[in-house]
Amino acid sequence: MLKNYLLVAYRNLVRHKGFSFLNIAGLALGLTACLLIGLFVHDELQFDKFLPGGERVYRVYTEHTGKDALETYSSVSPMFAPTLRQEFPEVEQTMRILMRASTSLLEVGDKKIYVEDGLYVDSTFFGVFPLAFKYGSAAGALDAPTSIVLTENLAKRFFGDGNPVGRELKVDKSSFLVTGVLRSGLSKFHLNVNYLVPLAAAQIPPARMKAWGWNQFFTYAKLKPGTDVRQTEAKLQAYINEKVKPTMVGEELNDKPFLQPLHDVHLYSAAFKFDLSVRGNITYVKALSFIAAFILLIAGFNFVNLATAKSMQRAREVGIRKTLGASRQQLMGQFLSETVLLTLVSVVLAVVLTALLLPSLNEFTGKDMAFDLLRNPELLGLLAVLTVVVGLVAGFYPALVLSGFQPVKVLKSAVVTDGIFGRVQWLRHGLIVVQFALSVFLIICAIVVFRQVSYLHDKDLGFNRDQIMFFPMRGQNMSQHYETFKNELAQVPGVASVSIGYGFPGDQVAGDGLIVPTDGEKKEYGVTQLMVDYDYIRTLGLELVAGRDFSKERKTDKDQAFILNETAVREFGFGAPDQALGKTVQWEVWNDKNPDSLKTGKVIGVVRDFHYKSLYDKLEPAVLQIFPGAYWKVAVKLKGDNLSSSVDGVKQVWGRFSPESPIEYRFLDQNFDDMYKAEDKLKSLLWIFTGIAIFVGCLGLFGLATYAAERRKKEIGIRKVLGASVATIVGLLSKEFLVLVLVAALIAFPAAWLAMSRWLQDFAYRIDMPLWAFLAAGLTAAAVAFITVGYQAVRAATANPVNNLRAN
Amino acid sequence: MIEIENLEKIYRTDEVQTKALNNVTLRVAEGEFVAIMGPSGCGKSTLLNILGLLDEPDGGRFAFAGTEVAQTSERRRAELRKKHIGFVFQSFNLIEELTVAENVELPLIYLGVGAAERKQKVEQVLEKMQIMHRRNHFPQQLSGGQQQRVAVARAVVNSPRLILADEPTGNLDSSNGNEVMELLTELNEGGTTIIMVTHSEHDARYAHRVIRLLDGQVVLENLTQAFSA
Repeated sequence: MLKNYLLVAYRNLVRHKGFSFLNIAGLALGLTACLLIGLFVHDELQFDKFLPGGERVYRVYTEHTGKDALETYSSVSPMFAPTLRQEFPEVEQTMRILMRASTSLLEVGDKKIYVEDGLYVDSTFFGVFPLAFKYGSAAGALDAPTSIVLTENLAKRFFGDGNPVGRELKVDKSSFLVTGVLRSGLSKFHLNVNYLVPLAAAQIPPARMKAWGWNQFFTYAKLKPGTDVRQTEAKLQAYINEKVKPTMVGEELNDKPFLQPLHDVHLYSAAFKFDLSVRGNITYVKALSFIAAFILLIAGFNFVNLATAKSMQRAREVGIRKTLGASRQQLMGQFLSETVLLTLVSVVLAVVLTALLLPSLNEFTGKDMAFDLLRNPELLGLLAVLTVVVGLVAGFYPALVLSGFQPVKVLKSAVVTDGIFGRVQWLRHGLIVVQFALSVFLIICAIVVFRQVSYLHDKDLGFNRDQIMFFPMRGQNMSQHYETFKNELAQVPGVASVSIGYGFPGDQVAGDGLIVPTDGEKKEYGVTQLMVDYDYIRTLGLELVAGRDFSKERKTDKDQAFILNETAVREFGFGAPDQALGKTVQWEVWNDKNPDSLKTGKVIGVVRDFHYKSLYDKLEPAVLQIFPGAYWKVAVKLKGDNLSSSVDGVKQVWGRFSPESPIEYRFLDQNFDDMYKAEDKLKSLLWIFTGIAIFVGCLGLFGLATYAAERRKKEIGIRKVLGASVATIVGLLSKEFLVLVLVAALIAFPAAWLAMSRWLQDFAYRIDMPLWAFLAAGLTAAAVAFITVGYQAVRAATANPVNNLRAN
Repeated sequence: MIEIENLEKIYRTDEVQTKALNNVTLRVAEGEFVAIMGPSGCGKSTLLNILGLLDEPDGGRFAFAGTEVAQTSERRRAELRKKHIGFVFQSFNLIEELTVAENVELPLIYLGVGAAERKQKVEQVLEKMQIMHRRNHFPQQLSGGQQQRVAVARAVVNSPRLILADEPTGNLDSSNGNEVMELLTELNEGGTTIIMVTHSEHDARYAHRVIRLLDGQVVLENLTQAFSA
């Protein structure tokens, strides 16, 4: 019996190749999207789950009531850890990680590599995070201040495959001894880590470690089993209020501590400031899960739709089978096994597609997800269940309807006009509207995002970012002789100019107060402090709108001159740029020895506003001043075409000043391109989803059009006999679907408008909402719908009417 | 074999009520070959459908092989149908996705006959219908006469007691038509009861008896020439 079913199913499939292809492809595509999203979501949910005892680990974070708003800090005072351990008996262990500057130079013999993600940690690290060791062991691995634990990957880069335990390694010129190597496979750990050294190695003065106001430590606490964390949290908050705040002198403590479960760190920290952890976003995870479910629903619906439309043509077969004695159950069995088979083919195809696309997804997301069905019986079982469920659901409706046909009726007539198909019309139409609304919505979003992203990349930023080599200085020799270094760089052939300072576009900038004495009162403004030299404006190609650039010839420029940007001039109420010249401003000098020293000077120039941050941020008042004490970064403007020889020349000069550290350079425009990586990804994602949505929407429409053409065969035949032209009939059949698309567009327009307005609002600098995008999206959807429906309509309209009428 | 008394069938639309069969009384004995004739719309197909247990009457009595079936369940009727009745249609009604042999095998599958026995029976009947050489062809690849032979083969493969033929020669030329009529006669001679709806006086002469319907009523019942003498 089953053999017969499958045989007929197979032959039906082969006989209607195009139709089968569409149906299988639609479901396969939907399932592939679901599988890929599912893998991603699953992966996101797995963070830190591999750590034994992780459910008892909590991270301390604080809510800080600042002058503007409530902010959440993931880095806290070094005092939380000892306090928790000493005052709270339910705390089993605590551990701190120091937040520090990004890269360090690691050396073994002649091998020198800049390495990121080195963590300064308490020796209790492995008590809280029991990571697996490849060489050495957790016990005592971080006890000596000179011990260092490497990841397998890093160990391999320096020592190859051998066991490096006991070997020496230098970090920023200080010596460490390797005490262990962590096993690889830390991709689901919320911390990016390359190596671990004891906190003691940071040589922080003991007094500093007692500062409640120094928020630079990621702090974890492991609670004893059975502890009620909410109680501990409340106790901790009370402790801070009652025991700590009263002891604070001269500064205010506005931090309220909380305990965040380790398993929440990855997904629930999106709003945290200064976070070190690898962050996901539960909103995305939820949205993606929803999208996956939606895609599956739509794909399943289209599958049902197409299968039902197709099965209309098989009414006669049902009639014959019934006449020959087939029971209703047997017929249902037949149709169900057919749809299950179709689903199975789709699932297999989806599995293959998923396996093929996963590497791209991994690259896109920076993950290393695996899709190995044989080693993952749960996934295999899930797919099996999915096959059966989708197959049964998809087959249930046609099975129920067709098996209920009266053979007398279907054998006599080639056309089925059973009312039951018509009864769910509103549902079919409703779902088509939903699909097309989604398509129109996505097309609009794709266009808007594309335009905004182009704008981000191409907008005139007020300075010239092309061909600027950019790197930090390294080593005392270079810093102390920065002027000589700069001069030598300037003499390299192909170098147009060199600027050394702190506060280059796309890089870190410092914020600090600037005092503007007005009417005998001293008013302080928060401004961006750009610590520059005499060549900064020239190197970046900034435009002076009033006054002059800093000049080496004028001795007072170093200590008594400031240049403002236009925004600062406006904020300070100086009026026109010209009027700002000569105004007095003051700044509290960054100086350890004399914290109260005040630098007083005059405004000598005003530069046109330029975007030193991403276009997310509104331009802030900025002040440029000569302050060699903060010089750190170097920008080298190159000219001409022979970039590589110029770069080589710069490297040679570097080698003379800092032979022990290799140069680490980028180009300034890369900094800006990197700022919009998320937007670039969003853009690609949107194109993909738009493509899928349109394809899937068309499938649904195609199924419906097929069904409608089939249903109205006789009507079309009669109309043709009475003299209707092909065009009239195509119009007749297409009209109702175009109405659906119109309704879909009307739903999608306001939704897209709202969504995109909100998205654009995040950018301080943005495009105007392009109205043509709405028109284009509507027309695209209508055109696609017309082509889809038109195919069926033309087929129905050009068919010989005699064939459709004779059967009656 | 078949006893019908005062059978009624009414088709209703919203406003009109049509009596397709009106007080039809009819007896067909085991082994008979009966032709039902009448103009289009006289109710002969309706009668055949009721006889074939494909449709239900709205009134009257209907006993099939001694069992009252006028008001019986769909399940029970399907049961009787697949065991005792074979159908031959004007438009053959072969399933296009199945080969000749598979089409013929279908009733046996629904009867739950084992694979080996099915194979044997199918071959026997195909041999008998002289269509064995086409067993692996699909219906579309056969001529009309061949297709109807396959349909007849399918109708008789499970040795039904009754064959219902609805204008079996309607789509065939005269030589193919005669061939099919010869086949039916042969089956009848082997003991199978045959009831045939036809427009053709020529075909009707193969039957023992002709029942003429007009407007849902039996107007004349007579023996054919071959048997009247």
